[in-house]
Amino acid sequence: MTEEETVPAVRADRLYKVFGKEGPRAVDLLSDGRHRDEISELNVTAAVIDVTFDVEPGEIFVVMGLSGSGKSTLIRMLNGLLEPTSGVVEIDGTDITTLPSNQLRRLRSQHVSMVFQHFALFPHRTVLENAAYGLEVSKTPRAERREKAYHALGLVGLEGWENHVPEQLSGGMKQRVGLARALTAETDIILMDEAFSALDPLIRRDMQTQLLELQASLGKTVVFITHDLNEAMLLGDRICMLRDGRVAQIGTAEEILNAPADSYVANFVEDVDRSRVLTAASVMLPPSEGLDSSVAPVHPDTTLANLFHRASRSPAPLPVVDDSGRLVGELDGSALLAALAPNGGEAGGAGVSGTGTTVTAEPGRPVSKEGGRP
Amino acid sequence: MSAYTTGDAVTVPQVPVGETFELVINWLRANLSALFDLIGEVIGTSVRTLSDFLSEPSATQLTLLGCAIIAVGLATRGRARAVTVAVAAYLALYLVEALTGVLASVIGSLPGGLFYWAMELFDAGYVFPPLVLTLVLLVALLSIAAQRQWAPAGVVALAWLLVLVGQHILGVQFELFAVLIFAALAILISGWRLAVFTVLGFLLIISMDRWLEAMSTLALVLVATGLAVAIAIPIGILAAYSNRVSAVLKPILDFMQTMPAFVYLIPAIAFFGVGQVPGVIATIVFAMPPGVRLTELGIRQVDQELVEAGEAFGAPNMQILRGIQLPLALTTIMAGINQVIMLSLSMVVIAGMVGAGGLGNVVYSGIARADVVLGFEGGVAVVILAIFLDRLTASVTRFSPAARAKRMTVG
Ligand SMILES: Nc1ncnc2c1ncn2[C@@H]1O[C@H](COP(=O)(O)OP(=O)(O)OP(=O)(O)O)[C@@H](O)[C@H]1O
Ligand SMILES: [Mg+2]
Repeated sequence: MTEEETVPAVRADRLYKVFGKEGPRAVDLLSDGRHRDEISELNVTAAVIDVTFDVEPGEIFVVMGLSGSGKSTLIRMLNGLLEPTSGVVEIDGTDITTLPSNQLRRLRSQHVSMVFQHFALFPHRTVLENAAYGLEVSKTPRAERREKAYHALGLVGLEGWENHVPEQLSGGMKQRVGLARALTAETDIILMDEAFSALDPLIRRDMQTQLLELQASLGKTVVFITHDLNEAMLLGDRICMLRDGRVAQIGTAEEILNAPADSYVANFVEDVDRSRVLTAASVMLPPSEGLDSSVAPVHPDTTLANLFHRASRSPAPLPVVDDSGRLVGELDGSALLAALAPNGGEAGGAGVSGTGTTVTAEPGRPVSKEGGRP
Repeated sequence: MSAYTTGDAVTVPQVPVGETFELVINWLRANLSALFDLIGEVIGTSVRTLSDFLSEPSATQLTLLGCAIIAVGLATRGRARAVTVAVAAYLALYLVEALTGVLASVIGSLPGGLFYWAMELFDAGYVFPPLVLTLVLLVALLSIAAQRQWAPAGVVALAWLLVLVGQHILGVQFELFAVLIFAALAILISGWRLAVFTVLGFLLIISMDRWLEAMSTLALVLVATGLAVAIAIPIGILAAYSNRVSAVLKPILDFMQTMPAFVYLIPAIAFFGVGQVPGVIATIVFAMPPGVRLTELGIRQVDQELVEAGEAFGAPNMQILRGIQLPLALTTIMAGINQVIMLSLSMVVIAGMVGAGGLGNVVYSGIARADVVLGFEGGVAVVILAIFLDRLTASVTRFSPAARAKRMTVG
C-alpha cells in the first residue's frame, strides 16, 4: 500500500484531553488501558482518550458519540481552541500543538473554519457582515470580502437576506449563515460541531442534502460531529464512533453496519435505518447471463430506500450500471430485503423485530418488520 | 455600659489603623509630590477650562465646537480621511503659531480692511490669530460637507452664526443660547420629551440665578466622570479576562463604595489642597466602582460561543474585544457610566465642603447658615442636572450596534 502519497488534511495522533490539575498523571494511567471511571481519585475529567485518526482531503469525516463522550472537546483540539494534554494534531502536515499563538491564529484563518451548534452568529452584524467575518479577520479588502460573502450566501440559498440581522432569521436560515461564514473564509477544512442538531427534522434533512451537494462541488474537507447515527451514516465517508472518550470503531458506514467492532457499536447500529445507508453496489449480485436489458438501469450509489419501489414493480432484476456505462451487477427484491437484516440476516433476525419498535426514522419501521419476516 | 471598664475586662491591643494610613499618606506626600502637583494641575485646568466654556465661551471656543460637530458628522459619513487632513493641518498651524507667533505677523502684513469691519462689529481691539485659524478650519470642513451635500453642516454653521451674532453684537447673555444647545443635544440623543424638560429645567436654574454654579458643577462632574470612566473601563476589562484580578478587585471596590465619602476628602486635601481638585479626586474614587463592575459584568455576559467563534476564525484578542465583546457589552457598560454620573452628582455637595465651588458650595452654605432658600434652590438645581444627564446617557445606548440590530427586528 502506498499511504505516504497525500498528506492527511487532519491528523490526530494518540490525542488525550484530561481536564484537571492531575491531567498528565491521568494520561499515564489511561494509556495503560484504565477506564476513565477508574481514575476518579485524581479528580479529573478525561474527555478524550487515545484518539488517533487521519482525515483525507475532500473527505467528510464524522465523529459520532453520545452526550459527554468528548466530541466537542475533540473538535476544539483540532483547531487549537483547546490544547491537548498529550498527543499531536496535524493540519495539512503542520503540528499545531507546538505553534505559537499568532501562527495558530493564522492557520485557523487560512485553513480551518467552524460551524457551531447554536450558530454563534454575531447579533450586532448583518447577515452579510457575519458571512464576511473570516475575511475581515484576514484583512481582505472590503469590496472583495463583500463580493465573496454575497457569493457564499447565494450558495446556501440566502440571496436577498444580506442586509437582515440574524434575529430576523429562522433556525435553518441562521445555520445557513453559519455555513456561509465558514465557506466565505475559504479554508480547506470545515469543522462542524453538531451543526444540525438544533434544527427540526425537515430542515435538517434539507441541510444535510445541501452539505453533501456543497462538498461534492467545492471539495472541502469536513469534520462533522453528531450524536445521531443516522446522520453520521448519511453524511460520513468514514465514521469515528466515540465511547466515553475512546474510539470504539472507525470505518465506512457499511463497515460499521456489517461488522460492528463490539457490542456497544452493534447496539447502536440496530437502530439505524439500513435502507438509507446501504447502496446498490454493496448488496448487488454479479450480473447473470440473461439479464433483461429493457429494464431501466440503476446507479451503484443509489440507496436501497430509493430502490424498493422500482424493485417491487419490476418483474425482472434491475441492472446496476456505473458512470462509465458498464454493467456491474443486478438486484432483485429479495436481495434488497435480505440486506436489511443486521449482519447478513439469520442470527440478527429476531433482534431486528425486537428493536423494530425503537427505530425512529419513519420509513424504517415497515422495512425492518419485513426484514424480519422471511 | 460602663460596667465593662472595671473588673476583669480583657484588653484588646489597639491596632493603629488610622495612624498607619496617615503614615502612608505622609510618605506619599513627601516622595511623590511632583506627581500629585502634575495631576492636580491637569485636573484643575480641565475643570476650569470646561467650566469657563460652559458659562462664557469665547468666539474661538464656539467656533471650535461647531467644527467638532461637523467633523464628527463627516467622519461617520465616510469622509474620515479628508477630515483628518483638515484637522491635522489645523493642529500643526496652531502649534506653529503658538511657538513662533508667525501667524500674527502674517495677519499684521495683510491689508487692514480685511479685518476692520469684523473688529468693529464684534467690538474687538485686535485680531486673535487662533480665531482666524479656527475660522479657516470651519470653512474647510464646510466645503467638505458641501461636496458631500451634507445639509446638517449648514444647520450647525447657521446656529453658530446666530449664537455669535446674538452674544457679541446684540448682547444677549450666553445662558439662553446654552439652554438651546442643551435642548438640541437632548432632541438628537433622546427625544423631544427630554428637550422640553431641558428647556424648562435650565430656565428654572437661570431664574434662580444659579447658572454659573450649575455650569461649574457640570464641568466638575463631566471631568470626574470622564476620568473615572477612563480608569474604570480598562480595569473592568482586565477583571473580565482574569478571575484573579476580579477576586482581588471585589473587596477593593466594596471598600471604595461603602467608605463614607467624606473620608476621601481628608487625604485628597492633604495631596491637593482645597479647591476643585480634591473634589474631583474624591468624586472619582467614590463614583468609579459601578463603572468597573458593570464593564466586567457586561463583558462576561457576552455569549462565550460568540467569543469562541471569533477565536475559531483566527481573530486576535484585541479584535475580539473591539469587534464582539465591547459592542455587545455596550448597553451594560453605558448603564455603568450612567451610575458613575449619578454618583458623581451625589458627591457634588460633599465636594462643596472642600471649596470645590458650584452648587455644592451653594447647598453647603445653605446648611452652614441654616438658609432654607439657598439650600433648597441649590438642591433643585442639582436634581435638574441629574435628571438631564441620566436621561441623556440612558438614551445613548440607542446608537449601539446591538440596539440597531434590535430595531431592525422590530421594524
Ligand atoms: N472546560 C472543561 N472543564 C472540565 N470538564 C470539561 C470541560 N469541557 C468539557 N468537560 C467535560 O468533558 C466531557 C466531554 O465533554 P464534551 O463537551 O466534549 O462532550 P460532547 O460529546 O460534546 O457532549 P455533548 O453532546 O453534550 O455536546 C464531559 O464530561 C464534560 O463535562
Ligand atoms: Mg458538544
